[in-house]
Amino acid sequence: MADIGLVRIRIPSSIKPGDVVKVRVLVIHPMEIVQRKDGKPVDKNYHFINRVVVSYLAKEIAQFETTQSISENPFFAFAFKATEPGPLRVTFLDTHGGKYEGTADIKFS
Amino acid sequence: MERGRNEGGITRRALLRALGALGLSGLVGSAVERPRPAAAQGNLASLGPEESVDATMKRLFGGRPIKDGASSIKLDLPLIAENGAVVPVSVEVDAPMTPQRSVKAIYLIADKNRRPLNAKFNLTPAMGQAYVSTNLRLGESTDVRAIAEMADGALLMAKREVKVTIGGCGG
Amino acid sequence: MLRAPLRSGAWVTLATLLAGGCVQSEPKPVSPGLPPSPWISRAIPEARGDVKDSPDGTKVAVRYKGWSTEDFGRFRTYAYDDPRPDIPLARPPMPPITGDPNKGRSLFLNRSLGPCTGCHLIQGEDVWPAGDVGPDLSTYGDRRLPAEYTFNLIHDPRTLFPQTLMPAWGAAGLLKPEEIAHIVAFLGTQKGPLPSEKDPERDPRTRAKPQGFGDNLDPTNNPAVLRAEGADDLWEKKGPAAKACADCHAGGALSAMKGVAARYPQYVAQYRRVMSIEDFLTVHAPETTGRPLPEESGDNLDLTMRIKMAANGMPVSLDLAKPEHRAALERGKASFYRKVGQRGHACADCHTAANGRGADKFLGGRLLANVENGLTRHFPTWRTSQADVWDMRKRMQWCMTPLGMNMLAADAVEYAELELYLASFDQGKPISVPGIRH
Repeated sequence: MADIGLVRIRIPSSIKPGDVVKVRVLVIHPMEIVQRKDGKPVDKNYHFINRVVVSYLAKEIAQFETTQSISENPFFAFAFKATEPGPLRVTFLDTHGGKYEGTADIKFS
Repeated sequence: MERGRNEGGITRRALLRALGALGLSGLVGSAVERPRPAAAQGNLASLGPEESVDATMKRLFGGRPIKDGASSIKLDLPLIAENGAVVPVSVEVDAPMTPQRSVKAIYLIADKNRRPLNAKFNLTPAMGQAYVSTNLRLGESTDVRAIAEMADGALLMAKREVKVTIGGCGG
Repeated sequence: MLRAPLRSGAWVTLATLLAGGCVQSEPKPVSPGLPPSPWISRAIPEARGDVKDSPDGTKVAVRYKGWSTEDFGRFRTYAYDDPRPDIPLARPPMPPITGDPNKGRSLFLNRSLGPCTGCHLIQGEDVWPAGDVGPDLSTYGDRRLPAEYTFNLIHDPRTLFPQTLMPAWGAAGLLKPEEIAHIVAFLGTQKGPLPSEKDPERDPRTRAKPQGFGDNLDPTNNPAVLRAEGADDLWEKKGPAAKACADCHAGGALSAMKGVAARYPQYVAQYRRVMSIEDFLTVHAPETTGRPLPEESGDNLDLTMRIKMAANGMPVSLDLAKPEHRAALERGKASFYRKVGQRGHACADCHTAANGRGADKFLGGRLLANVENGLTRHFPTWRTSQADVWDMRKRMQWCMTPLGMNMLAADAVEYAELELYLASFDQGKPISVPGIRH
């Protein structure tokens, strides 16, 4: 089984300057859901990803606020405009202080 | 479907090998950095209330007018969910993403979930396109809404029904 | 005659010879390609097809978590030594009660019984998702067929249509005669004119066909890919006998196992039976590394996926001429067409298209797959409806519970030979594992 925090990013094999590129990203994470006991939610520190930060060329370009209604092993896709070669980084933050990152090196071809 | 190269994140295995060389492998958790002291962000108080979708809409948007966005929002959802735990959804808003005319946020709301707000995607013009996709957990058959908040504060909404069934022959 | 003779006959022969003072070194298998004695399952406990006695005297089936534990022991299975005939035909008179159409409609939509809408469309905006394996019954009442006729049709359709796919709801004990009478009354109310269709998805004939699940080899799309890649660690790990797979198969699974899976399932002489990769791992791993790899364990599934990935893109290359394979293919095909379980279905009923069978039609909300397209080259597969990896054996076992039949052990020879028959439709086609499907 894959470990928590493993990140995979998928980008097209050929990118031209100015392309709007679709990116697919996945992180292994349980996205723990609220347990119920006698019809009431159990109070505990649930373990799930609650923020995703996308940065391109070291600048933040998007930020997602996520909840337990996102499926286990969260998958996200988004677009960004590839203006220059450089890193596209996706950072996942969870409620237990975990921080998981994946980086795609944007090159033009 | 685009073919792409896989860019791996820093895996636990790779990190262990690197730290092992430094004699530090015993310190690794599953995070890239040492976890910051957990602020219990996942406890019930931080999750917000279980509420009706009307209460969520009121809390998020107050009395602001919400226009029908069916002509500019493409909301893709299966009619019948394979499995309520993983329901793929994608949202594409027709907007040029210039600084004046861009989508600054997309909200995903599932009416019948106990906490209807599923996610809020905060975007910038650098995205080039107002497109997001993810997998949702739906507790039961429900309407799913995508609300786009434009740079000028205007709100547009599209919604679709998803039926969640399990089991049975052909279920 | 395609039926396999009882394998226990081999033991009778040996016993007779020994009693006669003649010593035989080993009983010959009765049929080519079958092991001489029953195969002892090396599957995880949930996958062995066991049925246990519970304290109150009833029988309880040991199955996967969330599956029904009901015992269907009285109905025929695929087991080669199961000689039971079809459920007897029955044509009792209709009970002298007035059927209640409302009760009939509830029964018609009851998911634990079928539902009938799995195959038959009826009126109603709440009817979804109905299938089109069987005829549209929305205006059945207009045909004014005698109630007795409809009662017989539902009770035991085989008495009217010998080639029918429909279960014998009464004869098999799925529905009581009174319940059938209610359904008959309900069908009598299904009359025209029909309201205009508001939702094209409601009618299976106008419903959009599913488009597939995207790139099965994309790890951001198919969670099974990451699971399979995790097996690389297991390949290198030493088992209790202080050996790892890598000790004999160096260079990692993808390199060392290149192309191997293209020949499977195949007859393995050492074990005298047809085996898939999963089956082979259950015996090979403990013999070499000391590590058990029970069928349907996570490790077995992940390793099987990884080994098959080493043949991705390569054509399935079974040796279809080998005598043991030819015998196994005949038995597998016989299993595929055999009516089994309480519902009296054969695999062919849903998964081939000829003669009005169900493939490429909707069963409830799902399009039925046609095995003649070749499906085994995508297994093991991620199942989106289960959020888990399933191999072909678990898929076969799964059909057992809705059919009303006890499942066999996942590594049963019967399943292996059925899998070989199915794989014959993949011959020459490129392997692509792991798959992703409903």
